[in-house]
Amino acid sequence: MNLVAVCFVAALCACALAALAALLVPARRRPAVTGVITAVAGALAAVAGVAAIGDGGWQVWLPDLLPLAGVRLALDSLAGVFVAVTGAVTVCAALYGAGYTAGGRDRGQGGDDAGGHGGHALDGRITQAMVPLFVGSLLLVPAADSVSTLLLAWELMAITSLLLVMAEHRQREAVREAAVWYAVMTHLGFVAILCGLLAFVAAAGGDSFEQLRVAAVDPGTRSAVFLATFAGFAAKAGIVPLHVWLPRAHPEAPSHVSALMSAAMVNMGVYGILRVGFDLLGGGPAWWWLVVLTAGVLSALYGILQAVVATDLKRLLGYSTTENIGLVLIGTGAAGFFAAGGSGALAGLALAAALLHMVNHSAFKTVLFLAAGSVLRATGSRDLDALGGLRERMPYTAGLFAVGALCASALPPGNAFVSEWLLLQSLIQSGSGAGLAGAVLMPAAVAGIALSAGLAVATFVKAFGVGFLARPRSADAERAVESPRSMVGGMGLAAGCCVALALAPALILPALAPAVVALTGDFGVSVQDVTLRVDAGLSTVSPTLIAVSLLVAVVAVLGLARAAMARRARRAARLWDCGLGPMSPRMEYTATSFAEPLQRVFDDVLAPESDVDVTPARESAYLVERVSFQTRVPDRIERRLYDPLVAAAAAAGGVARRLANGSVHRYLAYGFCALTGALVVLAVIW
Amino acid sequence: MPDLTYTELLYLACGAFLLTGVMVLWRRDLRAVIRLFALQGLALAAVIGVLAAHQGDLELALVGIGVGALRAGLLPYLMARALAAGGEDRETRPLVNVSASLVVAAALAMLAYAISRPLTELAPSPATRAVPVALTVLLVGFFVLVTRRRALSQVVGFLLMDNAITATAFLTTSGVPLVVELGVSLDVLLAILVLYVLTNRIRASFGGTDLDELRELHD
Repeated sequence: MNLVAVCFVAALCACALAALAALLVPARRRPAVTGVITAVAGALAAVAGVAAIGDGGWQVWLPDLLPLAGVRLALDSLAGVFVAVTGAVTVCAALYGAGYTAGGRDRGQGGDDAGGHGGHALDGRITQAMVPLFVGSLLLVPAADSVSTLLLAWELMAITSLLLVMAEHRQREAVREAAVWYAVMTHLGFVAILCGLLAFVAAAGGDSFEQLRVAAVDPGTRSAVFLATFAGFAAKAGIVPLHVWLPRAHPEAPSHVSALMSAAMVNMGVYGILRVGFDLLGGGPAWWWLVVLTAGVLSALYGILQAVVATDLKRLLGYSTTENIGLVLIGTGAAGFFAAGGSGALAGLALAAALLHMVNHSAFKTVLFLAAGSVLRATGSRDLDALGGLRERMPYTAGLFAVGALCASALPPGNAFVSEWLLLQSLIQSGSGAGLAGAVLMPAAVAGIALSAGLAVATFVKAFGVGFLARPRSADAERAVESPRSMVGGMGLAAGCCVALALAPALILPALAPAVVALTGDFGVSVQDVTLRVDAGLSTVSPTLIAVSLLVAVVAVLGLARAAMARRARRAARLWDCGLGPMSPRMEYTATSFAEPLQRVFDDVLAPESDVDVTPARESAYLVERVSFQTRVPDRIERRLYDPLVAAAAAAGGVARRLANGSVHRYLAYGFCALTGALVVLAVIW
Repeated sequence: MPDLTYTELLYLACGAFLLTGVMVLWRRDLRAVIRLFALQGLALAAVIGVLAAHQGDLELALVGIGVGALRAGLLPYLMARALAAGGEDRETRPLVNVSASLVVAAALAMLAYAISRPLTELAPSPATRAVPVALTVLLVGFFVLVTRRRALSQVVGFLLMDNAITATAFLTTSGVPLVVELGVSLDVLLAILVLYVLTNRIRASFGGTDLDELRELHD
């Protein structure tokens, strides 16, 4: 038993222990006890993951645990990356959850009607026990080493997360709708993965990954397997057009669960694509990866466009997840494309950028979702148009959200800047050797990344500026108070990870090298002191130096400004208010008004719906008594693609209801006729 | 015992098994149906007993005695008690009338013979040649389940199917392990106890056990 095995098994045991504790410990201490044990499990998993990236090679076969195939677990370097990320996210989310879920019984949890009565608050037994089980399944998915184990862990992950999404279904109607969407989408995705992998197993004649790797499968089957599993994994990763569950389920889940889902669970979709595409199928033709790349570009653009016009804070973050996983898939697709074309250094660079971006996204999305949860807990609202003025009232939360928002905007000195820069380098360096498809798609992808980065800045300026600065726009926001220490601690830990990733990628990036080399054979980035050098070109970047020089510049500018101010005498004056009297919070910029110019620019894509209702005064059609104006930006893909499908399914269901009239005999007769019919057919054709 | 006697006895027992099964469709008096079911249990026990005697297997003989005690003793007793408590002792209007039912039973028997041909060909022996009988009873049991209205008839239909499954198991294999048979029998007993309680509850709540009157319950 090496370090990997000990820590990983201990982490799984800690998850089980936490679930048990949630069932047994009385309600008053339940959140704290469960949270702490889950955090320990996360820390152990992080250690196991980091150790597995380094040496890896841990394998175990438990033939008796499941009938027929048994359970196969293995941690290699690729699995190690995902286990480590999941572990780190778990530590932050579990510590935060200990405070977030406590005391739900005397406080309406983010709802209009005071929830928590009847033992269905967030500190209820089932909800508390599901979190460690969810974490356990998230650890098992990358550790699975056979198809049956993977599918089992995948389904466990789907079910536990679904139960967590539904945690507050008694408080809010929207939770139920979100849960239905999530359940349907996640299970359709599961079916796609199931079909793909079972076809693969049937063609390869073995269930374990070892057998799948060496199996000789014909190209047609390989492509079918790849496309089916890609669809399934993309649904989990929230990739357009399979993303519709994500902006519903992530906002409605309890916030620490949102963080786990957004920062750890969607990664599993990326993991699946990497594992099946690179590892089990061993690369494949270039067009597979162009499909991945295209899906990535579309997701990045669509996700961030929806995020920039969203006014619900957590929905905004959910769409931002779609954007970031889209960026990760751009890197993945580019890596596969380059690997298929034989340029190993570029493939390594693209994959390293993709994995680094995934790690970065997990870090900042944890901070952002947890901070959004603090806001929700303090104000009872996720609507940015009703927030504001939280900087003075919740200084820690505001500061930590600012860190997360900076990191998410892909600007230096944030961490996403580093990974997106590497990603852009890999695409730009591809040059003319990429063939016609590459020559057309790579520049388009570069443009897509650039546009999404720009829109991300607007998105997070809006989220932070409107949500936390200025004056409160509602009474709830005015009454907000800072969150308890455990929540701030959880957020702070995640923000610390962000800062470390932002300032010292030169230390962290090499840690990903074994995983990247295992898949593409080359790493493509070399590190000199604090500088990252791209092997394929002459580009270098040093995030640490950029951060230091930025700091120096800011200090210098502030110092000069202060010096210039000190010379003049200060004078207090009333703010210019156009003579309308004192300015009220109603006159502030809102999230809607901030995004309005962008919404206008992307009018054709977003297709916003607005509704103006004018009531004229009785005497004259020209004198207006009252005007009401409503605007909303629906998810266009949902409107065009899913609504007709749902309507068709509902119509088919309505027709099928006639078959079921409630008579027991009729149901039995269906069974009897089906059986005898099948037997007659058998008897005739045999 | 000599092979010829064994075959004769086995086919006699199987014939009784089939005849009692089909006669369940013919009788409307629920008491008679229960008696037929008990007879069928005896026939099943006899089938197992003949097989045990042929193979000289004591364990199989014990299983046969157990099956007989359960299916010819305990289960009919439970059903008779349920019937005595209820008082509805006739299957007044089955969904398919008696003569049509008997014709259907003949058709089902032909179907069973047609589909069990491949099974028999796998290992031709006197026992496997009797498999169509068991499959016929299985289909007849399902047919009873579909067409009879009283809750008790439904229970009998269900048990006919179970008898048939047991018979198929013993005819196609050279003996079912005691543990498996015990498990299956316990399951059946439990199912009957549940149905017994359920029948009483249906009668207490709705005043009758005609299942078609429950159709308002859906959705």
